[in-house]
Order: sequence, then structure tokens, then C-alpha cells
Amino acid sequence: MNTSASAPIRQRWTVSDIVVASTLAVASGVIFWGWNLSYHAVSTLFIVYPPTASLVAGMWLFPAVLGALIIRKPGAAIYCEMVAAAVSALLGSQWGLGVLLSGFVQGLGAELILLLFLYRRFTFDVAVLAGAAAGLAGGINENWIASYYQYDAVGTLTHIAGFAISGALIAGVLPWMATRGLASTGVLAPLRSRKAHRESAFGLRNRATATSTS
Amino acid sequence: MSTTTPDQPQPPTEAAVAGVRVTAADFSYHHADRSQPAFAGLNLDIAPGEKVLLAGASGAGKSTLLHAIAGVLQDDDADSAGELRLDGLHPEQARGRAGLMQQDPESQVVLSRIGDDVAFACENLAVPPAEIPDRCRYALKAVGLGHLRLDHSTGALSGGQKQRLALASILAMRPGLLLLDEPTANLDPEGAEQVRDSVLAAAQATGATMIVVEHRLEAWLDEVDTLVVLEPGGGIRHRVPADTLYQDQALRTELISAGLWVPHHDALGSLPTWVSPDRRSHTEGSAVLPLLVGEGLAVSRESPGRSWRKALPPQPVLDEVDITLSSGVATGITGRNGAGKSTLLLTLGGLLAPHAGSITASTLLKGGHGDQLADSPHEWRSADLTSRIGTVFQEPEHQFVRHTVADELRLSAEQARIPGTKKPLFTDHEVADRVSQLLHRLRLTHLAAVNPFTLSGGEKRRLSVGTALAAGPEVLMLDEPTFGQDAHTFVELVGLLREHLDSGGTVVAVTHDQHFLRALSARTFQVTGAEPHRSPAPESGNSRVSSTPLFSAVRDVSWLGQRGPLAKLVALCCITLALISTIDPVSATVVAAASFALLPLANIRLGTFLKRIWIFAVAAVMAVWGAAIAAEESGRVLLDLGVTTVSTGSLEMGLSLGARAFAIVLPSVLIFSTTDPTDLADALAQQLKLPARFVLGALAGMRLLGLMAAHWTTLGHARRARGLGARFFSQAFGLLVQAIRIATRLAVTMESRGFGAGERTWSRAARFTTADGGVVLGGVFVAGSATTLAVIADTWNLVWM
Repeated sequence: MNTSASAPIRQRWTVSDIVVASTLAVASGVIFWGWNLSYHAVSTLFIVYPPTASLVAGMWLFPAVLGALIIRKPGAAIYCEMVAAAVSALLGSQWGLGVLLSGFVQGLGAELILLLFLYRRFTFDVAVLAGAAAGLAGGINENWIASYYQYDAVGTLTHIAGFAISGALIAGVLPWMATRGLASTGVLAPLRSRKAHRESAFGLRNRATATSTS
Repeated sequence: MSTTTPDQPQPPTEAAVAGVRVTAADFSYHHADRSQPAFAGLNLDIAPGEKVLLAGASGAGKSTLLHAIAGVLQDDDADSAGELRLDGLHPEQARGRAGLMQQDPESQVVLSRIGDDVAFACENLAVPPAEIPDRCRYALKAVGLGHLRLDHSTGALSGGQKQRLALASILAMRPGLLLLDEPTANLDPEGAEQVRDSVLAAAQATGATMIVVEHRLEAWLDEVDTLVVLEPGGGIRHRVPADTLYQDQALRTELISAGLWVPHHDALGSLPTWVSPDRRSHTEGSAVLPLLVGEGLAVSRESPGRSWRKALPPQPVLDEVDITLSSGVATGITGRNGAGKSTLLLTLGGLLAPHAGSITASTLLKGGHGDQLADSPHEWRSADLTSRIGTVFQEPEHQFVRHTVADELRLSAEQARIPGTKKPLFTDHEVADRVSQLLHRLRLTHLAAVNPFTLSGGEKRRLSVGTALAAGPEVLMLDEPTFGQDAHTFVELVGLLREHLDSGGTVVAVTHDQHFLRALSARTFQVTGAEPHRSPAPESGNSRVSSTPLFSAVRDVSWLGQRGPLAKLVALCCITLALISTIDPVSATVVAAASFALLPLANIRLGTFLKRIWIFAVAAVMAVWGAAIAAEESGRVLLDLGVTTVSTGSLEMGLSLGARAFAIVLPSVLIFSTTDPTDLADALAQQLKLPARFVLGALAGMRLLGLMAAHWTTLGHARRARGLGARFFSQAFGLLVQAIRIATRLAVTMESRGFGAGERTWSRAARFTTADGGVVLGGVFVAGSATTLAVIADTWNLVWM
């Protein structure tokens, strides 16, 4: 229904957007849970120097970028990360209510990058930047806002850098690949990202927006 | 029956009080990115109260047409032309006049309590709150669910009950048009009949117009007025009185060739006559040989061992099963829902450990190098399992792990290994041969390079059987293989399975489909659950796994459980803020002590609480260690590790951080375990005025938590069955696909019930009571005491300085 009436409110979320974003966040909560069950040994590897544990913390950031790449509307990163945080709070979270604060700050980190590109670019580089920004925001939160850690300068730097790198890889590269994979299965048909698998990795413009005006 | 509809912007005309007139003039719809339109130049006039059976080949656009009539097709990039009207209104303006029921029961339920779920549509249509309870009770009674409490959990309903609940939600809107998209395709015969009868009774009582899409025509044909057949990519091909189908031979032939189930026609007539190897052995005297023998078997989805989470070892869902699976013999596992049929199948398939008793693979099944293998298939490597026992899951997509159909078939054959070695079972050449032969047998050769997820339902079913056959297993396990399949796929499936039996294999199927069992001359294995009075498990396949996270619908009855969520949230915020703002042991100790003291208010026993929080104590110890070795050195050095040291200062810092991390969790556990998510959502939307669309969307998503966890487990089983080991990322990707599929259907359900259209009402007002004030004061008091005592002890330090 290619009516002009919908043009001015393009950025308004449809019911599909809302329900898919919510369900993705819930599925992310289940993935966290599966990760915890199978790979809880991973974090004990970092016992020698605990600040490096942030190298796997990107796992907790992927819903933000995944949501943003799939929904492609303002607020998706913050919304998905916060709902995922709420799910992990319900499942018994390590940080109690603080997990919602973490979810908000990390989601905000990713959201700012997408805003910087005016929600028009969802390429590989943007995804990596958004993941890194989510990690950076998470590091800032855990060291200075919620202050779960009080490392010395080297420790703090290691922790935050590890968080950002982990974010770029686990919460940037992987969600970008997942979005393309999902688009090629056809499940994204009702969403803006349905053609993600046909976009070039570093394309200048998001083609979905370009063609919708035809 | 008087159906006043005060929620409609325009009062319906007299003629339309009961049924809606549906008219389409030259209506076309073309999905973005599809080569063919869903339909084009469609003209239709359905009279108020008319009952229509809508048929057509799969992919003929039946669902799209129903969605269009329901007003839920809103694709920005799709092309639409012509007009479609409900009583002269555009479908989107006629929200609430049409109710839509889809095939998958899970996505027809929105909320976790049945009363809330029925009220949801009324609230979206801004029905006055005073009127909603009556509508709900009437609607639940009309579908035969009136005996259930309004706070009964929707997760505990069977598939058939979920569909009837969906009908109740639709009826509560007082619609003039019922749209049913294969409403019984996923149900067992009993559930299907109840749903059909409820729908017909409702249509009768309300005089509503009805359009039902179904490819098993028999169930509905005698109950409807009109049969409408769609032309794939075109308009209406036939519009005839329903009983014409009994006489009109040309029409029958046409529908049969479109894959529909036409009454009094034997779809299997097109296959050559077949005598099962089992029967032939009786006449020819040859023996059937056992492949897999289960003795004294008890099965459960939970592992038999005790774990820290569970007070008691889990009870098996089924026990004392003796079963023998022999070559050339098909076995049908039948029985009521929740009796443990699927669990038995997964156990026989080596995907779940037997709870008790034994499963023994014969030397015939073990085959070459079989002496290397244990008796119980569950102990085999996945690479050994896949070439001996293949499992076909109810949802074909659970098994898909590759990007093309051919790769999908290649995978299992490549993964198979010679027992006791890492050497592949098949050479590259043999693998290629198997793939091309299977593609041919499955009639998928032209689709070899296509993404498996984009196949049609019937093609997916064929491929899922093919992936199980690719490594050449003797035993083939299938879970409800004929659910929702058209006659073509049914016949092809029977053909494939007969070949498998002829070649000396065995087939085991969990099914309600007697037709299917007869077609394979199957022996029936009737399952009766261990204790029928036990709480009914939800639908097989999607059954909730109790070791997985749950989302309870039952309200907590403790004092704290009865208080308003908003007050609890405010109290929790105060306490958390008091802890986060400082790193000191005194305030942490005060909060921890207060949490333990308040346990009676939440009606949580000390033992339960300790079980819940011990893991956080471990995390706190980690925090102590982390700070001890990586915080700024100060005071006396206790331990010199060369690169770093543990000093009195860093250890003290660690202890403070650990105590704080532990204390932050405790009040959250108290609050979260006594707060119902539905009530919390009500409070967030009504009292905090957060956008209702997002709050309710998140709530609807969270209801799917248990279902998602069940999918996760099944995806893990499916990977093992395919010969893959643990594959975290593949499993995660599979879960995301299922999540989006379910979400898309759920969004259609919610939108068809008026969600997101405009102002809504709330049947239950969230209020702030005096007791709630007490909760807030209590939170402020705990937070204040913690801070005050820390200041007095001179340990308080603001972290943001």
C-alpha cells in the first residue's frame, strides 16, 4: 500500500517492529542463558588477571546492534538492550536492578552511532562502530557510573579496551553477519532490513530506503 | 442476539448488526520482491452471514487475502490496487469488525492469563472498562472455557484450548466477520473437532460472516454455504455452492490436482499397491529382525540426576515401556497430548538419556565396526548416530543449518564417521552420489541452490526427511510428519517411507493421523502417561522444559506479592541507589541484613532464598579477587606476585566491592520473585505513562520466554541428530529465525485485535494504595539507614567524586 499518507511518519514503529524487537530481545535472553550454561568456564580463564574478563563481555551487548540492524528505526538499540536486560533480571541477574542501568547505557552507546549516521547506514563499519561504542559505554558504566570495579589505571584501561574490542567483534561483526543470514532466510520480509543480504558491506547508502520511494 | 457495538466509530446499519458484507473489486496485491502477485483482479461479494470455505493450491494467496480482509497487510513496498471493503469501509478502518485466527496456536495467545488475553482486544478497541469483564466471561463460556479461572495460565493450555481461547478473544470484540486460516492444522483430531464446533456455534449464535481457509475440505464442507477457489496469482476461479463438490467431477479433479483433500477421494490411489515387508514376511516366512529394543524404559526431558536447582529428582513422564523396532516394520506412537510421546521418540532416537531401563541397539543396527559402539544410542557420538538413527522434527526448520538445499543434504553424509575413528564413512564421491540421488527422489533438484528456509511448507517437509536419510540410517524417527501438509506432500511422504521400509529400515512416527498409519501398515504403540492427573503438559514438541527459565502467570500471594509493582520498583530504586552511590561494607551489610529480615513479607523460606542467591556469593568472591590483584596498591603488601601485588588496601577494596555486589542482588530477588510481569507492565503503562505499545509489546514478547527456551533445547537435539556436535552459534541463529517467525505471526494476531491503533482502555486500573505508600517508605527507610550508618561509621564515600 504505497500511499503517501505513511510517508511523514516513516520512523514510527509498526506493530511488527515492536513485537519482533521484543521477541528478539527475549530470544537474546535465552541465548545468554545457553551461553552461561555451556560456557561458564570461559570467564574463569580470566582469573589470572580479572580486568581481561571484559573480552567476552561483548556477548551481553549483541542485542543492541542486532535490534538496530534488523529494525532500522530510532530507539531500537536501546529498546532491545533494555528488554534483554529485563529478561536477564527476571532470570536472576548478577547485578540486580543495576542490569537495567547497564542495558540503558550500553544501548545508548550503540544508538548514538546509528544516530550519527541518521539511521540511513547499516553497513559493516557502522555495525562494528556501534558494537565498539556499546562496549565503551559499558566499560564507562562499570568503572565510573555503577562502579562495579575499582581497578588501578592499567586495570581500568585494560577493562574498557577489552570491552570495546569485544563489543566490536561479538556485538558488531556477528550481528551484522546474523542480519544478512536472517534476511536470506526470508523471515525479515515485514521489516525494513528484508534486503540486508543484498546490500554491499560498505555500501554508501542503505538501498532499502532508496527503493521504497519508487 | 443483540450485538450493540459501542466501540465502533460509526454505528453499523441495521443489516450489518450481525454479519459483515465483504466486497472486492479488481483487487490486486503484490508483495515486494516477489515475481508474481499474490492475487490480481479479484472480484468477490460475500453476503452478511454467509459461510465460505476458501480453497486453492498452496501458495495461491489464501492467507494473504485473509490478512488483507483483516486489515493487517501493511507493507510499505508492496503494490496494491483495486478496492476491498467491509460494509463499505476500508479494512483498516473496520478494525474490530473482523477477527482473524491463524494456524499456530502459540502465536494466537498474547498474554499470560486467559482473562487478560480475552480482555486485550476489548481494551485496544477502547471498550469501557466496566463492560469488559462481562464480555470476557461470555466469550470464554461460548468456547467451552468458562470453567477456567480468569487468572489461569495460558501456557498451561493445550493447542486446541489455545485456539479456542483465540476464538474467545475474537468473540469478545463482537465481530461481524470470522476469518480462519487453517485453524486446526496443528491440532490432534479431538482438539480440531472442538475448535471447529466452537467456531460453527459462534457463527451460528452471532450471525457473523465466516471465511475459513482449509485444505482438508471434508471437515468444513457440509457446514458452509459456499466454496470459493482461488486462482494462483489471479482472482477467483470458482464460486459455487459447497455441495457442488460432491457432484462436479471436473471440479473434484481440479482440486485433487491442486493438492487439496477432497471428500471421498483416496489420495494414495496414485501410488502403486504396496504390501509392507512386515506382512510379506508372514506370507513368505522371512524374519523381521530387531534393530532397537527398549526394555523397562522410563523417559523424561530432564536428566535423571539430581541438581542443585531441584529439591526432588524429576519424575519420568512415562515409564515401564517395552518396545521393539524391527526392520521393515513401521510403528506409530499414539496417545493423548502430554502423554510423553515426543519424549519417548527423542529417547529412542538417542537424543535424550533414558531415565531408567535400557535401550539396546542390535548388531544389525550397529553395522560395520559396530563393536566399537556402546549399546545405548545416547552414548554414541553424533557422527555415529546420524548414519544409524535419523530424526525428523515436527518443525522442519529446526533441522536446517546450511545455506542451500544441496549443502543441507551433503552435511549429514559428510559428518558420518566410521565408529571408533575420525575417518569419514563415505568418500567424497559417495557423498556426491547420495546428494544427487536424494535431490532426485525428493524432487528438489531444481531447488538445489535455494536457501532451505525459503522453501514452501511441503518442500521443507520433504527436505527434512531427506536430511535425516542422507547418511543412510536404518531407523527413521518422525514427530507429527503430516501436520498441516497438503495431499501431495502426504502422498510423497508415504512413498518415501515405503521405500525406506522396503530397503530394510524401520519407521517410528509420533502421530494422530490414522490415515498415515494405515498407509504404512504401521503397528500402533499406544502410550498412556505415567500419571494422567498430573498437570497437563502443553503441546508436544513445544512442551515447556521445567529446567528452563519460566514465566509464571500465577500471582504471588505473599504480603509483598499483593503490593503494587510501582511502589516496589520505587523502593528497590532507592535501595539500589544507596548502594551504588558508595563502596563501603557498612551500607552493604545493612541492606543484606534488611533483606534477610524481610523474607517473611515475601513468604520466601530461608533455604529457598539461600539456594537462589549462593551463585551471587560466588560472583562476589570473584569481585573480591579481581580488586585484590588489580586495584591500586595501598597499605601493607600481603602477597607479591611479581607483576602485581595483593595489598591490605586492595583487599579491603575488594571486600567492600564484593559485599556491595552481593547486597545489590538481594532486594532485587525479593522484589522480582514477588512481582508479576503483567502487573508491572500495567503499572508502567498506566502510572508511569510509558508508551503502551512498547510496554505491551515487550510483555507479549516475554510470554514467549518458556517457548523460546524449549526451541533452544530442540535446536540442540536437532544438531546432534544431524551429526553435529555442540554448535552454539548455529543454535543461536536457529533460535533467532524461530523468534522472528513467531513474532511476525504474533504481530498479525495483535494487530488484528486492534493493537496499536489508537487510544485504549484498561480493564484493570493500576492504583496506588496506602499499603503501597508503606512499601515506598520502607524502601526509603532501608536506604536511609544504610547511608546514615555508613556515614556514622565513617565508611561512606561517594563514588562519583
